[in-house]
Amino acid sequence: MRLITLVIAAAMLLVLTAGSASGQESGYSRKGADTCLACHNEDANVLAIFRGKHGVPSDPDSPFGHGQLQCEACHGPGDEHAGRVRRGQERPPVVRFSADSITPVAEQNALCVNCHQSDTGFAWHGSGHDDNSVACADCHVSHTENDPVLSAATQPEVCFDCHQQQRTETLKPYAHPIQHGSMACSDCHNTHGDAAELLLVRQSVNETCHDCHAEVRGPYLWEHAPVTEDCTTCHNPHGSNHPGMLSMRAPMLCQSCHSQSGHPSLPQDERGLPAGTPSQFLLGQSCMNCHNQVHGSNHPSGSKLMR
Amino acid sequence: MFNRTRSYLPILTAAALMAPGLSHAQVDTSEWVCEYCPFDSGYRADVEVGASYVSDDAARFGNGNGLDKKGTEANVNGAGHYSSDGYQLDWQLSDLGIDSRAASIEGGRQGSYEFNLGYRERPYRQFDTTQTIFSNSSPGMLSVPQGWVPAGTTSAMTGLSSSLRMLDIGSDRQIMDVGAGWTPNNRLSMFANYRHQTRDGFDIGAGSSFTQSSFLPRWIDFETDQIDVGMQYSSDRGSLKFAYYASSFSNGNPSLTWDTPYNAAVGAEQLRMAQEPDNDFQQLSLSGAWRASVWDTVLAFSAAAGNGEQDEALLPYTINPNVAAGALPVSSINTKVDTGNYAFTVTSRPTNRIRFKFGYTYDERDNNTAQHDWVRVITDLFDSGDIQQNTPYSFDRTRVKVSGEFRLFDSLRLSAGFDRNELNRDYQEVAEQTEDTGWGQLRWKPFSWLDLRARGGTAERDIDRYDTTVAASLGQNPLLRKYSLAYRYREFGELVATVSVPDKPIAIGVTAFVTDDEYTKSTLGMTESDEQRVTADITWAISDNASTYLMVGQETINAEQLGSELGGDADWMAQHEDSFNSVGVGFLWRQAEGKFDLKLDYTHGNGETDILVTSLSGGQSLLPDLGSTLESLRLEGNYRWSDRWEGTVELRYENFSADDWALQDVEPDTLPTVLTLGADPYDYDVWAVGIGFRYRVGSVSD
Repeated sequence: MRLITLVIAAAMLLVLTAGSASGQESGYSRKGADTCLACHNEDANVLAIFRGKHGVPSDPDSPFGHGQLQCEACHGPGDEHAGRVRRGQERPPVVRFSADSITPVAEQNALCVNCHQSDTGFAWHGSGHDDNSVACADCHVSHTENDPVLSAATQPEVCFDCHQQQRTETLKPYAHPIQHGSMACSDCHNTHGDAAELLLVRQSVNETCHDCHAEVRGPYLWEHAPVTEDCTTCHNPHGSNHPGMLSMRAPMLCQSCHSQSGHPSLPQDERGLPAGTPSQFLLGQSCMNCHNQVHGSNHPSGSKLMR
Repeated sequence: MFNRTRSYLPILTAAALMAPGLSHAQVDTSEWVCEYCPFDSGYRADVEVGASYVSDDAARFGNGNGLDKKGTEANVNGAGHYSSDGYQLDWQLSDLGIDSRAASIEGGRQGSYEFNLGYRERPYRQFDTTQTIFSNSSPGMLSVPQGWVPAGTTSAMTGLSSSLRMLDIGSDRQIMDVGAGWTPNNRLSMFANYRHQTRDGFDIGAGSSFTQSSFLPRWIDFETDQIDVGMQYSSDRGSLKFAYYASSFSNGNPSLTWDTPYNAAVGAEQLRMAQEPDNDFQQLSLSGAWRASVWDTVLAFSAAAGNGEQDEALLPYTINPNVAAGALPVSSINTKVDTGNYAFTVTSRPTNRIRFKFGYTYDERDNNTAQHDWVRVITDLFDSGDIQQNTPYSFDRTRVKVSGEFRLFDSLRLSAGFDRNELNRDYQEVAEQTEDTGWGQLRWKPFSWLDLRARGGTAERDIDRYDTTVAASLGQNPLLRKYSLAYRYREFGELVATVSVPDKPIAIGVTAFVTDDEYTKSTLGMTESDEQRVTADITWAISDNASTYLMVGQETINAEQLGSELGGDADWMAQHEDSFNSVGVGFLWRQAEGKFDLKLDYTHGNGETDILVTSLSGGQSLLPDLGSTLESLRLEGNYRWSDRWEGTVELRYENFSADDWALQDVEPDTLPTVLTLGADPYDYDVWAVGIGFRYRVGSVSD
């Protein structure tokens, strides 16, 4: 009886390791990528790996670098997948990177981070994208010469797949030129996560804005307090119905904070339209018809931000 | 005996299952020669020569892409790639014939070193319906026409209509990038990037002469230089990054002087204002992370110390020789601001069902600029008699975030968190402000095809006190509460649903977001605001070659504010309602083995703002709608004659119209005391077509 049991157990081991019988004990294929390409040699999507950064044999850290695991570096041991299967039997899967993959997102990402730890791995932990179980493959395409998310012209469409609200905002009449492809989301956001708020590329909202708008950085002799703190107090950087991407139309925006006696405290209504008595506090640039230096003034007489 | 023999089974089974888990080093790859791998080697490139035609002038249409002028332009695009033995070189040219041109080259040896060089232009087009009497007689000087007869009001300017000339308002940004990276080994990497930006063109300024003002088409001449250098060390357990960032801005026109077109007191015929001063900012940062073996814990930190300076020579109080304002206390304010940004986060997964996160950040802006006493000459006319001190604003902000996630079932995850945000300011009405936010989230994936996420919470922003003495010193109504400083109670919620239709290549995403803010302790100023956003999209992969999508978006943002024209309690109210709706639909046909690719996108956007003002003096007054409508169509097609030759066609159509009472019927002389540029609201109907012929050299692939 003992002998019979051992035979059964050994047979089970043989069955369980059937793929390995023709390959390696590790479960990896015998010939690496050549094993894979025996079947996948006509699939342009598969072969595109050799046009991208992952398919560079001279890079020792590339999956195709010397001694690396080639296709199986990312897709996991493939000997079973490549082995024989009975008629009607489903071929054992390898790790796949896609939204409909049966491989859990955490496992997919762990495989990517295994090599990309240095530039993304640690900051990713606890980032908004990590919290929401975003897979690397949700944004990146590795089997390609040009990953769409790495180009300013095509990146926004990738981001807008999930960030629908921001897509809508960029269609507003006043917005950064994202829809034209001349500005990318990653110009402001570090999508792999960072210590800065809102995954910004710099340490704060203002420092991020100043990357392109250094002219309003100051520090000025006469500062406008909210400007020094947060540009988004007045501006909506994703788009707005109002010029300058202001969050509200002037003078109402300004009057939310300014109530000095005289013109700042006066209601501005249809009486001030051209058909009535045209009001310099309503039309044109409203308050900024005179207080044009809203970001600050460096003129000794500029405390009212008019000089 | 029987039981003992049965125990072999699990042992042997486990051994078999563990086999794939062997480490990389144990895999024998000696026979992995990759002889069927079509590694990339050699040279290939494509060059496209063509032309584009734009049917009409339209500044807004050309904003960002440079297609703002009617006419035909030749155009060149291209890209090339060379690789051999790990060395790579890529170059790219795009839109060389139009104002959004770009060229770049990058290369190196992957895994060892890399470099890049790039140049691109970004056009910013604001108005092409503007007209002015001013001309730039020299940099930083705007002059009225010869023989100009000043007047007290714009309508009395007899030479106005004959002196106006059309002048487009817009600028061009040129960006040059140079960068390099070096990876001496797989643990250490270094990088250095330099960017030079220039921006020149016309911008709208406004210069006041006490009770009058003029819109000034000022010539801007900005330059910014940026450097980012750093190095990073990484191991399996952690990483450390040290970086230095510096940015220097210089303005070719640090002041703007203009002839006033109005009647002026003797000596005040010319007026002057300061422009954006030259300034510098630099920052050192150190960041790192370490992964502990316990509980899959990652500790990360970041520390950055920055310094901003500005020492532009100050202009005199006035250029009016008849106003004796005295000497400036200093010739340059020499502002100095120190910034600090420090963050520490811990994320941990004690079990595969539980996750914790803790975050602490401290940000500060410390303005060390010396304070001085300043007189104020009002618009170059007279000394106000007041002595004012400059107020170097500083603040610090501390944020603590704690959150946890519990995976109740594989399909259900619950999370909750608490955030505290403390802000301390000086020279402002509120010195200490604290906002506490509590939130909860449920993520439920009952089926493989359905993913639901619901999130909601409240936030209460409180203040120590609203210092009305500061407000009074600025002349504010003591009842006003600035909305960024006031007490606020916020409720928010979000629902996200993602559906992958079973057995169909169709995906549906829906997002709804609401927020409601109450400023219940504000007597004047903003008292409430709310926001609702709903978006949805559907994508359908019709076949391997074709896909289509539909997306819709709708949002409303409402705000209500109170004011007082009598200087006491509220006697007027403004209700500000923004809405925006959008619809997009598209189709893509890409035949991998075929000759024809087609991409079609249509977008419709409609924005509207209603402002209702109710006051003692004016009763109920509804301002005309601020509206805009966008219709945009874009068609791109490629046809391959052969492996080498390809034809491309791109058609864009855009119709945009806007109603804007701030511009509508506001001619240069509409406002008696403001000489505007007479810009019209956007209203255009433009189509642009581009055709090109692309030729490929080198190796050809699909």
